[in-house]
Amino acid sequence: MNAESKTVLITGGDGYLGSSLAASYLESTDASLILWLRAGGAEEFENKKSALQRRFAGHASRLSYAAGDLLDDEPFRALDPRGIGGIIHAAAVTRFNVDETTARAVNLEGACKLFRFATGCPSLEAFGLLSTVYASGLAPGAIAEAPLDDGHGFSNFYEWSKWASEAALLKHFGDLPWRIFRVATIIADDERGTVRQQNAFHNTLKLLYYGLLSVMPGLPETPLYLLSGEFVSRAIFALMRRPSNRVIYHVCHKREEALPLRDLVDIAFEVFSQSEDFRLRRILKPLYADLGSFELLADGVEKFSGAVVSQAVASVAPFARQLFIDKDLKNTNLTAALGRYPDPELRRLAAETCRRLVESRWKPHGHDAR
Amino acid sequence: MRTSEILVDHFSVALGESTFTVDDAARAGKTVSSPATLKESGFRLHHVCGAGTTSYDLAYRAVNEIRGALGDIGAVVYATCIPANGNVGEEKKFRDTGDVKHLMNFPASRLQSAFAMERAVVIGLNQQACTGMLGSLRLARMMLTEEPEVGRVLCLTADRFPEGALYEQSYNLVSDGAAACVVSRGPGGFRLLACHGITNGALAVASDDEVVGSYFSYTYRVVQETLAKASLAIGEIDWIVPQNTNIKAWQILARLLKFDFARVAMPTLGDVGHMISGDNIANLKRLMEEKKIRPGERVLLVTAGYGLNWQCAILESAAENG
Repeated sequence: MNAESKTVLITGGDGYLGSSLAASYLESTDASLILWLRAGGAEEFENKKSALQRRFAGHASRLSYAAGDLLDDEPFRALDPRGIGGIIHAAAVTRFNVDETTARAVNLEGACKLFRFATGCPSLEAFGLLSTVYASGLAPGAIAEAPLDDGHGFSNFYEWSKWASEAALLKHFGDLPWRIFRVATIIADDERGTVRQQNAFHNTLKLLYYGLLSVMPGLPETPLYLLSGEFVSRAIFALMRRPSNRVIYHVCHKREEALPLRDLVDIAFEVFSQSEDFRLRRILKPLYADLGSFELLADGVEKFSGAVVSQAVASVAPFARQLFIDKDLKNTNLTAALGRYPDPELRRLAAETCRRLVESRWKPHGHDAR
Repeated sequence: MRTSEILVDHFSVALGESTFTVDDAARAGKTVSSPATLKESGFRLHHVCGAGTTSYDLAYRAVNEIRGALGDIGAVVYATCIPANGNVGEEKKFRDTGDVKHLMNFPASRLQSAFAMERAVVIGLNQQACTGMLGSLRLARMMLTEEPEVGRVLCLTADRFPEGALYEQSYNLVSDGAAACVVSRGPGGFRLLACHGITNGALAVASDDEVVGSYFSYTYRVVQETLAKASLAIGEIDWIVPQNTNIKAWQILARLLKFDFARVAMPTLGDVGHMISGDNIANLKRLMEEKKIRPGERVLLVTAGYGLNWQCAILESAAENG
């Protein structure tokens, strides 16, 4: 999309990917941006806006802000659709343990509200929907960059809601100049392993480090598709600016470059062992449990453990089933479009991420002020 | 019977004389978890010593039950989970007099005298927590191997919780109690095929969460290493007899070990509770009384305890038991 002379609307503009994409546009184009922020009231909006104004201090003239809530009937009513040339929908609830009602209301119905708004944007050239490779649910084997069905079910309502929002876009708003970005698991901001926003991946490593998770659901050979946020942001930015619409991209590595679960655990323990604190405690690598064993644990753990272990297991449980699924994610569209491909050194990325997590003892790094 | 065989036999158990339900214990403020949670874990009753009953009294009762089978005991290994139970002297007398002999009034010596085990050397074992009984089997086996003249070893464990103690530890409902058995060159009983233990001292003051966090991986490891010592595979074990703990934990462990949960036996979980270091003996004794174990069957005993310690022993029912 040649959006340099038009305005780009980014929902979830203060979120991890939303704000990273905003930074890319501000640094590499002349486009004006509208950062749409979820805010329950004026104070929350002002706080979020102030943080972004500080972060993007050199670009104030190109930035405007809007507030709303995807639960509202018309969350984008205040926006002028004229002049909007691009939309990136990054707002979503991304917790794996999100409940069905919230997932439906925010991730599906909220997305549909934006799709409807987009149909009224006369100059719209590109609409990017941020999704996840796990919108493919529990489907094993080859996963093409193509529309998905829900035949294999899902591990959690987050996955389902992202699949449902894709399906709604394709079925009811297919005329939009859409492109869908199915993103793999972001484990670090960059190749140095800096972690600004933590998710279930980091929480699981934390549990392993502190010896609170001695049973790991999954098969040791299950491939894990891991990425840096920097790569994801760059890829989506580049793909949004391409002229081709109605394309689905898997923003991930190929299966042969993915990291088996066993290798990730081995790397983590190798890095952890460089810490004397960890080494002295002689924490054993976790046992790989079948799904039934892990579900027994998740079901009964509060009966024979304290709050910390219960919460630990509960945090892993919503994506446990994925760790048994061998997905062969295809990324033909991605590689064809980008021409160059990200450094596939996932082992190094995983090791650096573990190292930084241990150094910080899982305290998130502050915002990068670039 | 091979001459080099070491056998375990003559099992006995003594419990605190007052019996309470889970609800009683909760009402008395002796538990942390809710009664419903403890019941769901499999606990129903527990046993508590009266104010005047000491852990030595429990030990005496347990040994007295098998006094006719003691024979010529060459060593006594007396294990206590709580180190303070390794002294029957009055601490007040020490405070009054400053004489440390009041801190060294050893129950093992008293027991040796009470049962006229004149040839027996006594060993106190008090830093292996709930795994002490299995630790005593290991020591007995070593002694009988290295010093055959010892002949017969009385292994026992005896503990009562001090006044004011909670009777729940690591989510288990605790009972005061003692257990004993004799390790010898037979005949009869169970061949002691292997003993093994792991200590992770860095977790000596582990939180309950860390105890649970390490429970599965270390229990799995101690079982695997013990099997390796005995040159056995898990498929060659007929029974696993663990300590009395949450039944769901063992449903999970059985799956991890690829062992039939129906053959994991904690028959005294409900009516005995977690008798500290004596659970394995109480469960094994119950299985024998119910004639569940057939000659030639192999039984794996395993226990985890503070320290942190994990211990395991593999027994094989001798043909003479048939």
